[in-house]
Amino acid sequence: MSALLTSLLACSGSDTDNLTVFAASSLTDVLPDLAEAFEEQTGTTITAVFGGSNHLAAQLRDGAPADTFLTADARFLGTKGLTGQSISFATNHLVVAVPSGNPAGLASVADLARSELRVVVCAESVPCGAATSHMGIRIEADSREPSVRAVLSRLSLGEADVGIVYASDVLAVPQVEEAWPQPRACPCIAYVGVAITDSATPFIKFMGSSAAAEILSAHGFSTETSG
Amino acid sequence: MQPPRPILAVAAVATLFISLPVIGLLQRTPWSSLDELLSSESVIRPLLLSLLVSVIAALVVIVLGTPLAWTLARVDMPGRRVIRALVLLPMVLPPVVGGTALLFALGRRGLIGQWLDRWFGLTLPFTTLGAIVAAVFVALPFYVITVEGTLESGSDELEQMASTLGAKPTGVLRRITLPRLLPAVGAGTALAWARALGEFGATITFAGNLPGRTQTLPLATFLALESDTEEALALSLVMLAVSLAVLVPMRSRWLPGRRTEQ
Repeated sequence: MSALLTSLLACSGSDTDNLTVFAASSLTDVLPDLAEAFEEQTGTTITAVFGGSNHLAAQLRDGAPADTFLTADARFLGTKGLTGQSISFATNHLVVAVPSGNPAGLASVADLARSELRVVVCAESVPCGAATSHMGIRIEADSREPSVRAVLSRLSLGEADVGIVYASDVLAVPQVEEAWPQPRACPCIAYVGVAITDSATPFIKFMGSSAAAEILSAHGFSTETSG
Repeated sequence: MQPPRPILAVAAVATLFISLPVIGLLQRTPWSSLDELLSSESVIRPLLLSLLVSVIAALVVIVLGTPLAWTLARVDMPGRRVIRALVLLPMVLPPVVGGTALLFALGRRGLIGQWLDRWFGLTLPFTTLGAIVAAVFVALPFYVITVEGTLESGSDELEQMASTLGAKPTGVLRRITLPRLLPAVGAGTALAWARALGEFGATITFAGNLPGRTQTLPLATFLALESDTEEALALSLVMLAVSLAVLVPMRSRWLPGRRTEQ
């Protein structure tokens, strides 16, 4: 009975062989690879929790047990009381993406204002949505999804004709492609990793290593070491 | 009879357990700026949309659910238990799974949805109609289970008597079955409407999120939580008020538990 209670109330924060990582949903595909490399180096396993950066930040502020937080929105780290050792480890760029084969025949940014097309973007409250609104293009959105992965799934299921997602997302899902070749230009987002418990310090160091940068750029992220 | 103390104590704990979160919500509510928040577009729009979606969904539920409940209760057919289990499935299914299932059935590339799109140019995702469909999907079982229960427990003696005396089947239905069913219809509608009003997972998965079109109160609350806590609290308060305003008067008249009008 007491064992059951312990497991019901357990926080993984104190476990030294395992780190709980709260991560922006756009890191969904790259983090398992990073975790594997980190485990090979240190023997420490990673438990990943994905979600919208601000949603996760709010959970952390309310005491959610995590050792480290990889966010796509570093603006509010201080106000949320997340002031541990931190590192900026990658950037990501928005691209106009379509279901593979571009069935709606999208040709330019102007098409995003065509009302007959199903256009899906991120809600303004998540980092990709904030960055989308800074692109300065007119968008007639049919839905503002709560995370960039939700936009991606609309595209891969063919429910939407066009959406705005990260360059890394397009690489992650074979059913989705860039609408046309686009430069990796800003507005872009910068990922910051912050240590919440001391046991996360090695992981934060690892995120700044060339090994991590290699994995990140293989997944379509931009890192300083790889250009 | 004096009610047993232990029972009262546990009942008090249960009541406290339910009311504490509500108290927590009220205690954090920004009362001073509430007026301004409640009259803002970002609260009014989702409120109106939520009322529209949940009321239409409740009406659709009555139209679809009454014949279904009657069939399940009165018609002896093979596979009735399987059909009943199937109908009740959305009560147990996580709404997000329900929304995904709706996408695969009624989405633009879905089983039926692709034909709706091709023949009628009708696509449900990202439309208010889609939000209503999602609400009907999750709310229907609550209505069916309530009405069916009453039909099953009420004997059909009166109906048989009326038939023996020469009443036509439709006359029996109109003059005996339906009037006796009204309290259950009221209770089932209240439950289904409440479920439709609170619907979140299936709506955001199937219908998406656009202010004024598919962004109902629960969706607006969820998204506001990420950016504007005060707005989220105001939205929550609105949901609370609307729910109480409907459930409190209904409790004594229709909801199961008190049988004053039989």
